Amino acid sequence: MEEPRIGVYVCWCGTNIAKMVDVEAVTTEVGKLPNVVLAKNYKYMCSDPGQELIIKDIKGHNLNRVIVAACSPRIHELTFRNAVEKAGINPYLFEMANIREQDSWVHTDRTEATTKAIDLVIAAVRRVLYHEPLEKRSVSVDPATLVIGGGISGMMASLEIANAGKKVYLIEKTDHLGGHVVKFDLTFPHLSSAKQMMRPILQRVENHPNIEVFLQTEIHEVTGYVGNFKTTLRNKDNEGTELKFGNIIAAVGLKPFDPSKIEEYGYGKFPDVITSMEFEDMLGTGKILTKYGKEPRNIAIIHCVGSRNKKYHEYCSRTCCMAALKFVHQIRAALPSTNIFEIYADMRAYGKGHEEFYAMTTHKQIMFLMYDQQERLPVIRQANRSDDCNMIIEMDEKLSGLPIEVPVDMVILMVNMEAHENVKDVVHAIGVSLCGNQFFIEKHPKLDPVATTTAGVYIVGTCQGPKDIPDSVAQARAAAARILATIEGGTVPVEVTTSFVNEKLCCGCQTCISVCPYSAISFNEIKKVSEVNEVLCKGCGTCGSACPTGAIKCKHFTDLQILSEIEGIMSMSY
Amino acid sequence: MNFRPTIVAFLCNWCAYTGADLAGTSRLKYAPNIRIIRIMCSGRIDPTFVLKAFQQGADGVLICGCHPGDCHYQEGNYKCLRRFKLLQKYIAQMGIEKERLQLEWISASEGKQFSELVNNMTKTMLTLGPSKIKSSLEVEYIK
Repeated sequence: MEEPRIGVYVCWCGTNIAKMVDVEAVTTEVGKLPNVVLAKNYKYMCSDPGQELIIKDIKGHNLNRVIVAACSPRIHELTFRNAVEKAGINPYLFEMANIREQDSWVHTDRTEATTKAIDLVIAAVRRVLYHEPLEKRSVSVDPATLVIGGGISGMMASLEIANAGKKVYLIEKTDHLGGHVVKFDLTFPHLSSAKQMMRPILQRVENHPNIEVFLQTEIHEVTGYVGNFKTTLRNKDNEGTELKFGNIIAAVGLKPFDPSKIEEYGYGKFPDVITSMEFEDMLGTGKILTKYGKEPRNIAIIHCVGSRNKKYHEYCSRTCCMAALKFVHQIRAALPSTNIFEIYADMRAYGKGHEEFYAMTTHKQIMFLMYDQQERLPVIRQANRSDDCNMIIEMDEKLSGLPIEVPVDMVILMVNMEAHENVKDVVHAIGVSLCGNQFFIEKHPKLDPVATTTAGVYIVGTCQGPKDIPDSVAQARAAAARILATIEGGTVPVEVTTSFVNEKLCCGCQTCISVCPYSAISFNEIKKVSEVNEVLCKGCGTCGSACPTGAIKCKHFTDLQILSEIEGIMSMSY
Repeated sequence: MNFRPTIVAFLCNWCAYTGADLAGTSRLKYAPNIRIIRIMCSGRIDPTFVLKAFQQGADGVLICGCHPGDCHYQEGNYKCLRRFKLLQKYIAQMGIEKERLQLEWISASEGKQFSELVNNMTKTMLTLGPSKIKSSLEVEYIK
């Protein structure tokens, strides 16, 4: 092996790292280590000039190993691997030290944080000494795509791919396509008909020669890897149907929050307290009537039901404010003299045309009443016989500071969007992660919002987080474009950090075979040794830690690399 | 000098490491005594890694993986659990208190739980004092 010549780069990340970590001290300290040819720090290593700096140094100083101490490798490892590769170094001769997410952002003592950064960088240096170049492998891509979820996101993604001449399997768990949008009457902020918008989309999806729709079908298990996935359908019509596809789009959406959990609103107790989705259904019938068949003279619309409240969901559902304003227009058109009360916590009108829509709606002779989501929720109670209304809402009106009573005959609860109960089944089947709000986690929150950390699996629409129709469609078409690009390329790179058996050391005990979750290891009866099928191996390394003779090498996570990293991490404190 | 414990942590890439990253993006604060090593799966934890960390002077070793049933590689965390149980018994025989080796499940969304875990474990190490193995091992380590 040639003598390691390591270049270390410490990132300031603006002030994100530099504020809590003395990057200069880290650079000086690490610069003293053997084999470290140069150590530098720079404002933003991930920026073009930052990457250029590495590339220039590799060439100028003949570096053959590179360390970047910056953010989490989950964010920029690939960026830097590509950069060093540009300069002619194998991308696996690179290592990252996480001194932002796991250091500067979580500590408050600058000296401690700096010491920790030094330890982490030394560990990376000691590890990279034992890194070995790994050859990239690629596999062919099956041109078919599996789309899970037949709402607007799933349908738009399907159409985009199918129109490019590629096969799509569209899986929908209910008995119809169209998701929630097909049930809406109008959309905001243009008050155009949702059904009119959806009809041609549904027709195109249903009749498209490249789209095969499976209704009342759920995905239980997906096997394989990017480019070559497989699943077997399990429902009464398609029992045992096997599908093969190269990429997956999850578009499973969200579902309306069940407001019966909020006692104050009496949902389920008062028949005229209904959810926004139920009101959409009512609008579809063409008549706004109470359960007694009368036209309501007073209607209240309560915002943030289940949203922005730690007891239910802390996040904002992003669409309910505008949907509530949309209802004002629909009620006003049908019932010109009915009193409308918008009972809101904060009005959120962030989207294109939304603020204008809000301003326009305020001229519709409605009353805006503000409540404090953190203090006391409005309480709905039955009105007395002598009252001229069906129910009464008692609330502390925030702007006037007064406790007031609002007469109502109908209450519409703008319910939050939340994850489906069985979201974990899908998550497990396709191998992605969920955040605390049970939304699917994207690969990078800003730079890669539709991909996931599992290659070949994309997330679109509300399952990634609450969003309106245009945002969902944008994601759907973005994911489709990504997939079409990989299909066009014909091959995709796959995991190279697989396991490898050193036949000379293998004693043939077959322990590795018993622990491998992918049946990737088989026993060669002639040589009496284990063999790894590198296409099936996903690189978890469980076999490596079970092997009693050390015959199995987990590439890029070898015993030597990890032990050396441990030594490095402890070298200053010992 | 005040005792500053060092904890070496092995975190699986998919759940625990992501959870620790989330603690960072959420700007949660925790004790600076932890040094994290990323591995792809908790099933990769070779007993030697844990022993090596103790030998090098770690006062505590923390292993974090995905919750049971959530393993990115299906069942690596179960393999880890079995090894952990054995390792705890083993280190006790070597004179290392079993509380110095901990295994916890941390999901990608449990940044808060991770920060609390680090703080609690740091407190435990402060109560236990420095690991005795540190001083009893005067042998020069051969690379």
